[in-house]
Amino acid sequence: MSNTKQSEEILSVALSKGRLQHATLELLRRAGVDLDPSEAGSRKLVFRDRSGRFQFFMVKPVDVPTYVEYGVADLGVAGWDVLLESEADVHQPLDLGIGRCVMAVAGPRSTARKNYRELSAVRIATKYPRITTDHFTRQGVPVEIIYLSGSVELAPRLGLSERIVDLVATGRTLADNGLEVIEPICEVSARLIVNRAGYQVKRRAVSDLIQGLAETAPRR
Amino acid sequence: MKTLTQVPLGTQVLFGPAVKRRRRLERLVFSIFSRWKYEEIIPPIFDYYDVFSRGMGAELEEALYRFVDREGNLLALRPEFTSLVAKTVATRLQDRPKPLRLCYCGDVLRYEAPRGGRQRESFQLGIENIGGERIACDAEVIQVAMESLQRVGIDRFQFNLGEMGFFAGLVERFGLSAQDLSGIRRLIDLKDPVGLQAEVERLRLSPRQREVLHALLHLTGNAETIDDARRLVSNEKSLSALDNLAGLYSELRRRKLADHLTIDLSEVRGLDYYTGIIFKIYVPGLGFEVGSGGRYDNLLKNFGCDLPSVGFTFFLERLMALPLKLR
Repeated sequence: MSNTKQSEEILSVALSKGRLQHATLELLRRAGVDLDPSEAGSRKLVFRDRSGRFQFFMVKPVDVPTYVEYGVADLGVAGWDVLLESEADVHQPLDLGIGRCVMAVAGPRSTARKNYRELSAVRIATKYPRITTDHFTRQGVPVEIIYLSGSVELAPRLGLSERIVDLVATGRTLADNGLEVIEPICEVSARLIVNRAGYQVKRRAVSDLIQGLAETAPRR
Repeated sequence: MKTLTQVPLGTQVLFGPAVKRRRRLERLVFSIFSRWKYEEIIPPIFDYYDVFSRGMGAELEEALYRFVDREGNLLALRPEFTSLVAKTVATRLQDRPKPLRLCYCGDVLRYEAPRGGRQRESFQLGIENIGGERIACDAEVIQVAMESLQRVGIDRFQFNLGEMGFFAGLVERFGLSAQDLSGIRRLIDLKDPVGLQAEVERLRLSPRQREVLHALLHLTGNAETIDDARRLVSNEKSLSALDNLAGLYSELRRRKLADHLTIDLSEVRGLDYYTGIIFKIYVPGLGFEVGSGGRYDNLLKNFGCDLPSVGFTFFLERLMALPLKLR
């Protein structure tokens, strides 16, 4: 916390590595950020745009809200799934419309036909314990969460749990593992998030970027 | 089984240079408080639960450390000072000349995950101005906060100034339940237009009502923001909130303090007991506000004495994270 350095001239932006990376850089370019292709999209983890107004750093998607909450980054791009799962206290002024998919409950066909509301408790394997707990308890259904950090779709096959909660983009991974969507929970896309103090103190630069991105972001 | 050497989550110990720095910071800020004739008050560390829970808002109420004494009374450790100062003034100091100027420094306890430089036990330093004239006292409190920052070497800071009455008047006729209203408030606080859109659709608000709420997200800037806001509303409560804000703004300009101000009507988060102006204090270089304050005209009524009041508090750990000049 003592090292949360924000210089006023430069906006620092935390970007998610992986799934959202390519689309995010593309969107920034269209919004007028002058990125050098030999830097952005290379393996560099920290780079500037050509004007020097922005500094970007690539981090693990789940860490983006943390960097932004603590003001190490003024802004960040993170999936709605990651934001819902984190408790980060940040502004979220823009849906970037990229990285669209669905958070859903899924299971094998045989399971899908059974109404889980009639079970005394549901067991779910997931990377998203908060979203999952919220979804089931809101319907009054007790849930037992089995936390996994990846390859969640294997859980039903291996007998760990009958159902999972996971992100579904095309549905192919589910189908490959003999699973189908039982019910969607929410739509997910990438959001722009902003540090609360940075939003106030660097107001003009932040609004300019929001404006630029809002004009180019794909509409729903 | 916990060992004796473990520490409970959320506690802190200061020693060595950190103690010196901290005591010097307190002394310098107190020197400004006493120059403005604020008198120190040392309230108890615990009181009845109800003293704090009223007007606190659900979020902070959940964070109260509560316990039961042997007679079965529900008690709580103090999560803030204002309620205790209000209670003391209402019950024992109500006959003193107004305004009463009181200041305090000490720890507060909140059962929350340690984050943002704050532990479960954290320190606050602040003032309360009770029973005085509205705009003059609001301006004084803000001036004391600004001079305190300058005294410890912070020259660049920003005060975001809002008015609780503006939002309250705006939504009064929407006919929303308390729960729906707090949902809307939360989305405005997050500056989340997507969530807000979904919520206004769910609540079937009229197109005009939706437009006003979306406009609220962007109601922030210089003094012109007040005029923009005026064009948006016609209800009396909101308009009088804007008059109040405009009055305070020109008073602060008269005191040559307006350069540090940002009008922010999208600021809707605050303790439930705030009734008029509210403000948050930001310093470039820190990702969190270092202090906040506001007017709470109804709080003393809870304790049987009707006096308008205003105050602010600094979050000491956050101030300590800044490069300070403590001479």
